[in-house]
Amino acid sequence: MVKLIWATLVAVFFIALWFAMPLLAAEVDIEGNVQAKCIIQTDRSGVYGNPTASKLSTASADGGVEPIVRFDVAVADYYIAKLTYPTSFSTSPSLTDIVTWTGSASVSSVSDAGMSAYDTSKVEYGATTEFDLTIAGSTWFKVNSTAEYGYGKAFSGGTYRAVVTAECIAK
Amino acid sequence: MKPTSVDGVVKFEMSLFNARDDVEWFMIGAFDIDFKPRRFASESNVLRVKHNERANFNVYLRKQDVGKTVYICTHSKLRGEDADIAMVASTICSRIDGERP
Repeated sequence: MVKLIWATLVAVFFIALWFAMPLLAAEVDIEGNVQAKCIIQTDRSGVYGNPTASKLSTASADGGVEPIVRFDVAVADYYIAKLTYPTSFSTSPSLTDIVTWTGSASVSSVSDAGMSAYDTSKVEYGATTEFDLTIAGSTWFKVNSTAEYGYGKAFSGGTYRAVVTAECIAK
Repeated sequence: MKPTSVDGVVKFEMSLFNARDDVEWFMIGAFDIDFKPRRFASESNVLRVKHNERANFNVYLRKQDVGKTVYICTHSKLRGEDADIAMVASTICSRIDGERP
């Protein structure tokens, strides 16, 4: 009986000691920092088709190839994408008449299905189209460009090049 | 934004990563909210960054200009002589005033 009482007292003592001791556990923090960043890549360079003597066009129906630009954003709703189709040639033979420029920019493919809404909410002014990149991930934009010389005037022979401007602007 | 040893001048430490294989040269610029150019200084206004490489650079601004300068941008420079001329010029801007709408 005495031994039983003694054992109970010892057990109670150790239990009390256990609760009195601080927990010997260490907390190790893991810290991460997501930096807002935007990466622009040219997925496909464009080529002008020459469907008629007076017209250069990147449309596939006109024998051209539309340039495709890829935007990668790491943080949602942090950047605006601005694409501007050409309004002049960067390289061309001498031209004596005006060139009429038209074009457009639109979403070609996306890494997130929600990005398909970019096309419906885009803002166009002049030659520039703005897309609000509200979702993190990759978006491919295609740009159409058409140049028409004078009034049905034939482009003279030579190399014609123009530049699409792709901008990623932090909000 | 960090102070410098020059009184009245602060610096911004920037990093440029080139993901394009058709461009190697980039120009630095500083702009206000309306994208009008602002005065700044840097070790070099034009950087050469090869494909998949990163370059760190500093942009120095006078303290009196910091309030009006909103964007620091890098703009790709296209070569005019090569046979394969890039058709896309790209600009990426970081906002340094920390304000978002």
